Amino acid sequence: MVLELQKPRPIWQIMFSTHHTDVGLLYLITSLAFMFMGGALALLLRVELFSPGVQIIADSMTYNRIFTVHGTTLIFLFILPSASAFGNYLVPIMVRFKDMAYPKLNAVAFWMIPPAGALIWLGFADFTWYAYPTYSVISAPGPAADMWIFGLKILGVSSILGSINFVVTIMKCKHPDLPLSKMPLLAWAYLTSSLITLVAVPTFAAALLMLLTDRLGASGFFNPAMGGDPIAYQHLFWFTFHPEVYILVIPAIGFMYEIFPRFSRKPIFSHSSGVAAFTLLTIVGFASWAHHMYATGMSFTEKTVFMVGTLAAVPASAMHTFNFLATMWGGRIKFATPIMWAVGGIALFFSAGAGGVVNSAMPLDFITHDSYWVVGHFHLFVMGTILFGTVGFVYYFFPYVTGRMYSEVLGKVHFILSFVGTVLVFFTQHILGLFGMPRRIYDYPPIPEWVQMNIIISIGAFIIGIGMAIFLVNLIWSSAKGKPADMDDPFGLGGKYYFPYQAKNPSH
Amino acid sequence: MKGIIGIGAMLGLLVILPSIQYVLAAGDSAGEYLDRRVVIWGLFYRLMIVAFTVGTVVSGLIVWLVLRFRESNPKATPTSYEASGSW
Repeated sequence: MVLELQKPRPIWQIMFSTHHTDVGLLYLITSLAFMFMGGALALLLRVELFSPGVQIIADSMTYNRIFTVHGTTLIFLFILPSASAFGNYLVPIMVRFKDMAYPKLNAVAFWMIPPAGALIWLGFADFTWYAYPTYSVISAPGPAADMWIFGLKILGVSSILGSINFVVTIMKCKHPDLPLSKMPLLAWAYLTSSLITLVAVPTFAAALLMLLTDRLGASGFFNPAMGGDPIAYQHLFWFTFHPEVYILVIPAIGFMYEIFPRFSRKPIFSHSSGVAAFTLLTIVGFASWAHHMYATGMSFTEKTVFMVGTLAAVPASAMHTFNFLATMWGGRIKFATPIMWAVGGIALFFSAGAGGVVNSAMPLDFITHDSYWVVGHFHLFVMGTILFGTVGFVYYFFPYVTGRMYSEVLGKVHFILSFVGTVLVFFTQHILGLFGMPRRIYDYPPIPEWVQMNIIISIGAFIIGIGMAIFLVNLIWSSAKGKPADMDDPFGLGGKYYFPYQAKNPSH
Repeated sequence: MKGIIGIGAMLGLLVILPSIQYVLAAGDSAGEYLDRRVVIWGLFYRLMIVAFTVGTVVSGLIVWLVLRFRESNPKATPTSYEASGSW
């Protein structure tokens, strides 16, 4: 592994490197920076919604801008790059190759992210991360919306380049002695999520182009006044972004496949069922996009097809959960910070999945549609599962990157605050949705139940915020002053770690 | 193991089958025999009962696994893989 912080180098040497560990480090630092920025915006939203009336945000347009950039940042500038970070570090090592297949392309894919992030943040668009027409075509104000479109376009190209690199590295550069059936499940996670990216993302790239030309008045694909169909955009959008959910969650599940066996001191219960579940998710991810659109007037038959397609993901998700629990069974588990996050992640993954089954049942979807239930379900999934898996893996990986140990006490406090906060915020949002509060509103009437639940949610968000502040302090302090890690066995688990072969970084 | 899977499948069917008529009925054109709100909320509560039951079992299992197989549990013993040092 690299020890960038133990053997300091000039920063430009890392920035302009094409070595996979250097590019991985750049991805990691960038994605964590965007995580804190996007999270700070969420806290602003929760301060505003703490009680009815205007609190700190001047008007509804500003509120819309904040939640648009919050969502865009955390999905496209945090979750995706953080997955790429660990993929860059580990995929070449796991397939026993010296680097990614195309190192320069790899660096190019990373360096597309900062300008895209700058476009999104400097523009501060207001049409949500969906950018649904007709508002996005006809009314969304000026440069901000166009900057968002260009930013997303760049990020889409970056994702596609990164995915090509992962697929080629795994399929073509894998050591001949390593069959796919024996490849670590985390590498399988990257293979399957990259394949989803390659199929799904070009559709949204096309939709963005059509959206842009519509905004310029050169076309009317989604503009009813010119004979276009706004619903067509929703189909194109969700054809990309329902599979995108799996692009986001599959690496997080892959992280858990590293953590559970490691800390349980026994191998994963069933490697082949993990592979099967990843493959199944890759396929059924494309069979469910229109469950986001039950309320758009689809026929009963169409809705039934997409309901069944959505429910097809349940067995695959259950296979992963069963695999994790069966791995823990009979183990001798050391509850260090990484596995606490992973265990919390699967508990919340199950809860998010249960809420998802309710959403996917079309009659029930009409109760929850466009309510805070949807906000709770989505966030329970991205925060409860994806962020928990990712943060757990950040802790797991910390000694390999820095050569030092993080503070275990602070890591556990961070976990407890985040778990309690996540339950308070997102479980309550489900109930708030059933009480009829619509999502994406800047203010709300003083209905007693709404007020009480919004206060609970905001308090939960502040608890998460405190946890994240502790995380930031832990990362910075421990990387400089933390106890030097035993690089052969930083967690004191015994045994041999099967992946940390020394990466041959030419700069070391 | 097959018996357990079979019983699980049967129980699953017993939960799903009674719900199908409500789902299909809710999708029909407006009729005079159904109050859709009542039917849909009824279905919601049935699913909630299923979700909370399964959720309780899974959560309980997670808590038990955490407590039983933690290394500080007096009953904890080294796994068979620890001797060889590779897992």
